[in-house]
Parts: sequence; structure tokens; C-alpha cells
Amino acid sequence: MIQVSSGNTHILRLITGFLKSGSFIFWITPSLFVFLSIITPGFFSVNNILNILSSSLPLMILCTGQTFVLITGGIDLSIMSIVALTSIVGSKAITLDQGWLCNSDYSVLIGIIIMLLCGAICGFLNGIIVAFIQGPPFIVTLSTMILFSGIAIWSTMSSNIYNLPPAFCQIGSSLGLSLIFTILIIIMANTILQRTPLGKWLYAVGSNIQTSFISGVPIKPILVFTYAFSGFCAACASILLTGKLETGSPVLGERMLLDVIGATVIAGISLYGGRGKITWAIFGVLLFTIIDNSLNLLNFSFFSIMITKGIIIFIAAFLDSMRTKLIKDLS
Amino acid sequence: MLLTIKDIDKSFFGVQVLRKINFSVEKGVVHGLVGENGAGKTTLMNILGGYIQPDNGFMILCDKPYKPKSPRDALNNGIAFIHQELNLFNNLSVAENLFLTNFPLKKPCFLKTINKNSLIQKSKTILEKLDLNIQPDTPVAKLSAGQRQMIEIAKALIADAKLIIFDEPTTSLTQYEANVLFKIINQLKLSGVSSIYISHNIDDVLKICDSVTVLRDGEVVANGQSSDFDKNSLISHMLGRSLDKFFPPKKNIPKNQILIKVKDLSLPGVISNISFDLYESEILGIAGLLGSGKTELASLLFHGASNLSGQIFFQNNDITNLSPAEKIKLGIAYLTEERRADGLCLDRSIYDNIILSALRNYARTCISFIDYNKLSEDVRCIANKVELKAIKDHSAPVKTLSGGNQQKVVLSKWLLTKPTVLILDEPTRGIDVGAKHEIYALLNKIVEGNAGILFISSDFDELIGICDRIIVLSRGEIAGELSKSDFNNSRIFELASKRHANEKFK
Amino acid sequence: MRNSNNKPIQNFILNNLPIFLLVCTVIVFSLFSDKFLQLSNFKNILVQASSNIILATGITFVLITGGVDLSIGSIMFLSGAIISKLICQNHPPILSCALAFVACIICGLLNSIFISKFRILPFIVTLAAMYFWRGTGLWLTETRALNLPDNFTRLSSFNFLGVPLPIIMVFIIVSVCQWILSKTVFGKHLYATGENIDGAQKAGVNTSRIIFTVYLISSVCAFIGSVISLSQIGALSPTFGLNKEFSAIAAAVLGGTSLFGGKGKVFPGTLAGALLIQTIENGLVVCNADPYLYQIAIAAVILFAVLIDCTRQIIAKKQNIRLIRPQDFS
Repeated sequence: MIQVSSGNTHILRLITGFLKSGSFIFWITPSLFVFLSIITPGFFSVNNILNILSSSLPLMILCTGQTFVLITGGIDLSIMSIVALTSIVGSKAITLDQGWLCNSDYSVLIGIIIMLLCGAICGFLNGIIVAFIQGPPFIVTLSTMILFSGIAIWSTMSSNIYNLPPAFCQIGSSLGLSLIFTILIIIMANTILQRTPLGKWLYAVGSNIQTSFISGVPIKPILVFTYAFSGFCAACASILLTGKLETGSPVLGERMLLDVIGATVIAGISLYGGRGKITWAIFGVLLFTIIDNSLNLLNFSFFSIMITKGIIIFIAAFLDSMRTKLIKDLS
Repeated sequence: MLLTIKDIDKSFFGVQVLRKINFSVEKGVVHGLVGENGAGKTTLMNILGGYIQPDNGFMILCDKPYKPKSPRDALNNGIAFIHQELNLFNNLSVAENLFLTNFPLKKPCFLKTINKNSLIQKSKTILEKLDLNIQPDTPVAKLSAGQRQMIEIAKALIADAKLIIFDEPTTSLTQYEANVLFKIINQLKLSGVSSIYISHNIDDVLKICDSVTVLRDGEVVANGQSSDFDKNSLISHMLGRSLDKFFPPKKNIPKNQILIKVKDLSLPGVISNISFDLYESEILGIAGLLGSGKTELASLLFHGASNLSGQIFFQNNDITNLSPAEKIKLGIAYLTEERRADGLCLDRSIYDNIILSALRNYARTCISFIDYNKLSEDVRCIANKVELKAIKDHSAPVKTLSGGNQQKVVLSKWLLTKPTVLILDEPTRGIDVGAKHEIYALLNKIVEGNAGILFISSDFDELIGICDRIIVLSRGEIAGELSKSDFNNSRIFELASKRHANEKFK
Repeated sequence: MRNSNNKPIQNFILNNLPIFLLVCTVIVFSLFSDKFLQLSNFKNILVQASSNIILATGITFVLITGGVDLSIGSIMFLSGAIISKLICQNHPPILSCALAFVACIICGLLNSIFISKFRILPFIVTLAAMYFWRGTGLWLTETRALNLPDNFTRLSSFNFLGVPLPIIMVFIIVSVCQWILSKTVFGKHLYATGENIDGAQKAGVNTSRIIFTVYLISSVCAFIGSVISLSQIGALSPTFGLNKEFSAIAAAVLGGTSLFGGKGKVFPGTLAGALLIQTIENGLVVCNADPYLYQIAIAAVILFAVLIDCTRQIIAKKQNIRLIRPQDFS
């Protein structure tokens, strides 16, 4: 037990307030950025920073969707499979090699709409099962992860789709376009979360679902929306990734699931629900991306980066549990 | 003297919770401990049971110093604590729950294999002793609330304790089961085992306890043989003032307009043929003992159920099959029994809890912007009305508040929806005396408008003090209705216990 | 009490869903191909499933406590990497396996310490471990594939009284684990901890020790699974053990283990779940079905099982309104 003498209460209150406010990700990420700028040659250059930004954007969109799901106390493991599925659906539609829409003038626009719809529908399926059948999100999205990925692989026989229209690929490859795209989505998500009843309801459902029900919160539509939104975000990320790769691939972004979960968890978004903000997720993604980037610059091998990521996730969780304990002792 | 407690002090975070507590329990005696919530009973028992350490003072058990460092320690010394919150495992059987930490083992013992035959045999012995007709193999999930409480008691008996602390043991028991319990406590007494009996039911305490101690605000205010006290004197000691001055004056006059009309509401096995009316500007009390169906009635009025028969009307509209959200939109509010479980989001702030039900009224659609100016203004207004004490910072999480303030937050949440009907299920449970008074005054003010309140409680004195009419439930049926002039504690009790005397327990 | 006595057959099926699904699957595939309904084919299924069954058994213990272990695939890979590297450098196989075993114990111990002593969420600890150990394994093998010599691969085809060694291992491990769960004090404490950890603590159960042990059990099972799988495949690729934790969890959940803890059996539950998944793959292969359909079929089965199990819980909850005086009301 910590003895609190009146002289120190002001300082302690400052510290407690600081520890309690959102997430320490807000000072870990910039600190790490500064630290790495110093020790890593080539890190602090305009080119590299733009690189970091550009590679972080798809992950940001994915984490935005995942944040919504995590706030309601669930989890969406199927996002990467939705990315893959929407990638090949979109590619099949707009590919210049006899895609479904190759003769239309608006092929790119329609293709994008198809991808977004497809993502939302996949998410909708997740949402329906979680909300109405009350299936545990972990196992439901685990099985839809296998299902969607299976459908993607089966429908292309494991092969990629090439020759996509340049207009489409611009969105993913051009930093300006992809940045605008990402920012729009993030602003929309953040606005919903902070300024609308829907946002408040999301937090309530994650915090205590029985209370929410009795208080008149429409639980089922909210859960369906949440997973549909996560699928929608997966489709958006797929647009960027497919465009950048200029290829529709049924295994697109296979390794990214861990990064999505790692980034949101490290950002302090609770797996139990009821806590988390989009801004935290963004900083979490930036943290992961700058770690990836700097380790690459330092010529770390692929597996060393994996090991480092593991250690970082772990330290973040350890610090967070210490922080929670410290807050409890101080208050 | 079996147990002596001397000069025990305890404070938490600078707040003195127990002050120079002195009391003792003799061998073979049932000693009652009464006091309001917050008087310090639980803290004192937690010290006795080894959960927390006292700041000062000491205890002597069987002429030896007694300083338990853990509940295990206390148990090893012969003190068993039967908590109010049951600690049973639904996924295990009755026998497994009973012997969870001392299973009979098969040889070779190091493998820790359970000797099933011996386990069943031992369980049967204990269950018979408690007159319980339950198979040891039964999964605990299938037991009724009363049976579970009895299993908790069985656990203490197995531990061969010298002193058993009963904390509100009859909350989930039927009258019959309670009588079995009293018989057992008596038998224990005769075999030299003492009991400390904590209960809000003063009648029970006077009936079975030989001696009694009254705690108030962390101090012992009365101590002696129970024959030296009667109900009124005990309550006066507990409250520090007489009962009549306790309830605020009522200024409301019930009108003739019917707000809620309930007709022949029945759910097989739960309630049967419930019919009543709630008028405007009225506080209608629903009285009953535990097991009467009053909580289930409140829940059914709000939630409905698939095989519920009968009708519920709100201002002449049939609302029987509406969802809770639709009922809220009409102006019906429901304060549940367990605010921590389903009345509050404990980790969310006070502000976020208060706005939860009324959000729809402050934004055009669910994805429109919330009018925070109007919302915050209204929240401030309600918080003042409700006298949310000293909470300047509405961003603090609700779990840091006292019981009384938490309940006020729940009330604020519902008041913000500007309800016409409030269904309150045990709204003053677990709240200190001062906060209770404030809530009564608030409820009176609410019905001075055109609202109506359905007040469900097992505290008959409270109902008498605050209601305009009282309906008494017993075993799922209406046993009687009393108008203000007929309000009488023993009459209510008589109606509430109707037909309990001869029931057989299966 | 509960009025669930109306439909005994329906209840029997629902309570033994995994076995029922397994039987249905066998029947369906038998109708499609005569090659399916043969003893040699069933032996095949059992042998192919053996590594997964053992992994799923280990993770069942973790799931019963309400935790999760996402690192078993990576521990499997690390173990495989150590064995392969050492054997390819001509060290004796026994020594290599012993060292790999020690490595797995260390992995399990680290998980256990951080989860039970430092109280960090199992999801996060094992997620971090998943990255960490796979990275370590990849570092050891330099991300290259390794081929194993014959004397090691012969292990999997070693027969004892006509029964292949993998099947014997499965039999031993499943029996021992189910015995622990249902007949020992540890098992009962395990279920109690999973149902209500604070309550179990209050009741005097050593919950820290229970949680500590289950992560060790799961990493030991990862070791055994890796040895069997490695000797069957004969080579170690960088994707060895990838996503195995997910299929192990799916098998356990299919077998009736609850993700919330407190419920689950190795036999018949998890065994049936793992066999079901393998049977579907085997059946599709034997019937010459499109190989790309395998994944979709597995997902469909898991979803189906989840649908049925959850619907059953919803119905049970509805029937579960605590009756006050059941015997006195008509």
C-alpha cells in the first residue's frame, strides 16, 4: 500500500491522471520514433517516412474495423480471408483479361462497389451468427475465416488474377490517394464512435450486455452492424492492397492477421470490450509499422522481426498490467 | 467463552469502518449480529474469517490467540463462514462441490484418484442430515436457489467447525427450508457448535438467537441477551432513531386514471392469474417474501416470455408483446434488483451510464450527432434532482461509487427518459439509511406529477412507509390487497406467508 | 425441474453432437464410395489425425480453464526445427528429441509463469509467444526446408502388434488425459477453476498451480504432436505447424469444449472433433472430390456444429426460468 501524504497528492494526481488517460501508446510510439531516428541510419528521411506511412495505411483501415468489434467485446479473425475474397471478387470483375465488367466504362467504380458490398456481406454473415445464434465470436470468425479463404482459393484454383486496370491500381499505389481514402474512413469511424448514439451503444454492449438490453439498446442490430463494418473495412484495405500489388490474390495479406491483433492489443484496446479509441489503434499501427520498417533498414531477417514483434507485444501487455495495478494502488 | 473480540479497529483509505469493537460468543450459543448495511458487519466477519487483517485489537478463540492470515487458516481453526453469495460450481455435481478440497482418495494416494463410492456415501450422510432429498450425483446447475443455499450450509457442516458464521442465510430459502435451517442451528447449539447469525430479518433473529449485538456506524451500540430486546428497540438501536420519523411526508394524491392494467397474467410454474391496476400519481407496492414471484412479475412485465398468458395494458394500449426497447419508448422504466449485474455498466463513467437509455431522444437517428449541449444540461439537472452527492466529476467510473450513489445513477438514467411508469425492484437494497431517505423523497416527488410507481420489496416497513396501496403476493398468486388505512406489518406478513405452513418440500 | 424430458432422442443427439456428426459423416461418405468403408481407410484416418488429436487434447486442458494457447503451432515448429537441425547434423535422434522436449518445456514454462504469476491475459502471452517461437525456429533453420533421414521417418510406420505407433500414442495420451480429467482431484479442480476462478480460489483450490500446469501440458502435447507429424511428413518446411492452434481449438470446440471454460472432455469430445475434421478430408479425397472444396467443407461443418450447439443453449436458457414451486403448479 502506498502512503499518500498531502504534500505529494498534487503530483500523484497528475501521474494517476496521466496513467489513466487513454493509452500509453501515445507516448511510446513517438518515443520509439525519436529513438529509432537516432540509432537507425536512413530512418529519418522523407522517403522513408513516406514509406512508413504508405505501408501502414491498409493496416490502419483493418484495425479501425477490428476496434469496433473489440469494443463490443468480440473479435474478428476472418478479416484477412475477407480481404482475400474481396480481392479476387473485385479482380475477377474488373480485370482486363475478360473480367465481368471489362467492357463497361465504369468498371473500376462498379468493381469497387462490388468489393465493398462483398466485404459487408461477409461481415454481415459473421454478425448474424454472433447476434442471433449467440455463437462465441472467436469460434464463429475462426470458422468463417476458413470458409471465406476456402471459397477464395476454390474459385480461383489457387491462382492469381493479373492485368488490373491502372485506374484501380492508382488508389493503392499512389500515396496521396490511399492517404485520402484511409483518412476518410478513419474520420467516419471516429465520428460514429464519439458523436453518435451508435458509438455510445457500442461501448455499452461491450461493457455490460445485460444492462444494455434492459436500457433499451438494440443489441442485435448493433452486433450485426459491427461485424458488417469490420468486413467493410477489410474490403477497403483489400482495395489498397490489391491495387498496390496490382494482382488479385486468394491469399492476400495472409500474415497480417497477427499484426492487426497485435497492433490493437498493444494500443490498449481491451479484449474484454468496453474500452478503446480509434486514435489508439492508429498509434498502435504506427508503432508496428515503424518497428517493421526500422528492423528492415537494420537488415534484420524476417524471423528476427517476428521475434521482436513478439517481445514488443509482450512488453506492452506487461506494462499495461503493471499500470492497472498501479492505478488501483494509487486510488 | 468460545470467542472473544477485543478493541478491534479497521479503516480503509482513511475511513474508519470499525471502531473499538468488543464482543464475545459463548460455546453452544446462537449469537445474532444486526445492523444496517454499511454498519460494519461484513468487515467484522471478514476479519473473523481471515479475509482481512484488523488494524488494532486482537481475538481469542478457545483461550488461544487467534490471528487468521487467510480463509484457510480460519477454517483450520474451526471457523466456517457461509457467505451470502453462493460459491458453488455449476459444472460439478453436488458431491464434488461438497468435498472439493477434501476428496476421499483411492490408494495409492499420491495419484490423487477420487474414491467415488466413498464420496457418494459421505455426501448421502450429510444430505440426509439436512433433510435434503437430493442425489449426490446431481449437477448443481439443476438445483433451485434454496437447495443451493442448503448445500453451502452442508459444506460448513462437513468442515466440522466450532463456530459457523451465517451471513443472510435465508435470502433464497422458503419458509420450510428456513425452518429446517433453524432446526439445524439448534442441533448444532446442542452439540456445542456456536453460530453467529447475521440477518436483516429481525423476527428471525429474535426467534433463534440467544444473544445479540447491534452495530451502527462501525461501533457496538447494544449487546445482550435477546430476551432483553424487542423488535422496535433493536430497530431503534440500528437506525439511531425511531422508525416513524424515517419516511418523508407524502404529498401525492392518486388519481383515477389507470396507467397500467394487468389482466390474468400467468406463467406456469412462476405466477398465476395476476391482475391489478396502477393509477396515475400512485405508488403501488408489491409485497412478498422470497419465492413469492414478485421479482419474476416485474421482469415479466418488462421482458415478457414466450408462454406468458394474459394481457398488459398501458394507457389502454395492449403492450403485452412489445419488446423492452418499445416499452421504454412508451415511457416505462425498469429498475432491476441487481444494479451491479444489469442496472449499470460498471466500467463506464457516471455520465455514460446516465445517458444510456435516453440517447435516442437527443439525436435524430442512431447515426446522427448527439446534441451534447442539451444532453449535458439535462444530465446536470437530473443529477441535482437526485442529489448525486459530491460527485462533481461525472467522468469517474460508476464502480467507484457507494451503493446509494450507484442506485441514484440508475434512477437518473431512467428519469432522463421522462417515464410515466417506473417499475422498481428492491430499489433500496444495499443502501445506507441516509441515501434511502433521499430516494424515498425523490420517489414521492416523482409521483406528484402524473407518473405511477410499482414498488416491489420484501421490506414491509418500507412499503408501509412509502406506498399508497399494497398488493401482497404469495407463491405466485395475489394473496391480498391493502389500502392505506389497513396497512399493518403483521397483516402483510400473514398474507405473504399464506399456505406456506403446510407445504411439503420435495 | 427442467422439462427437457419431452424429447429424449433429440436430447441424446444434442448432448453427443460430435459423435453423431461423425457417424453421419461416415455414413454419407460410405454412400459415395465403397473405398471409404474399409478398415484400412479408417486406420489411415486415425494415423493422419494422430498429431492433431494430441494437439487438441493438450489445448482442451487450457480451454477448460477458460484460457487459450495460440502458441502451440509455433512450439511445434520450434521442436521440429531443433529435431531436424540436430538429426541433419548427424546427432542421435534420441538426443535431438530430448533437447526438443526440453525446449518445449521451457516454452510452456514461460507461458505458465507469465499467465499464472504475472496475471497477463493468456491471449496476449500466447500471441506474443506465437511470434517469438516461430521466429526462433525460422532463425534456427534459416528459413530453409529440411529433409529427415529414413531412420526417423520409419518411426511413424513402426507397428506394434499390427497397430501403428501413432495410434498407440493417441490411445495412451487420450486415455491418460481423460482419466486425469474425470477421475482425479486435479481434474475436478480444473473444472472448478474454469467455471469460477475467484470462487475456486476462495474455496481453497490452488488455482495458480492449475493454470501453471495446463500450459505445460499443452506444450508437451505440442512436442509429441510435432514428433509424430514430423516423422509422417519426413521433412520440415517453414510452414510446419502453421495455424495448427486454430485447428486444435476448432477440434476441441467441435467436441463440446466451451471457450468460456468449465466444460469439455477429451474422450469422447475432443477425439471425436478431431476425427470428424480428418474424416471429412479423407472422405473428400477418397471420393475424388475437388481438393479445393476441403477447406470449405471443414468450415461448413464447424459452423454447423456451432449453430446447433448455440441454438441448443438458447433453447435451454428459455426453458430455464427458475420455477418457484414446480411440483405445485399444473
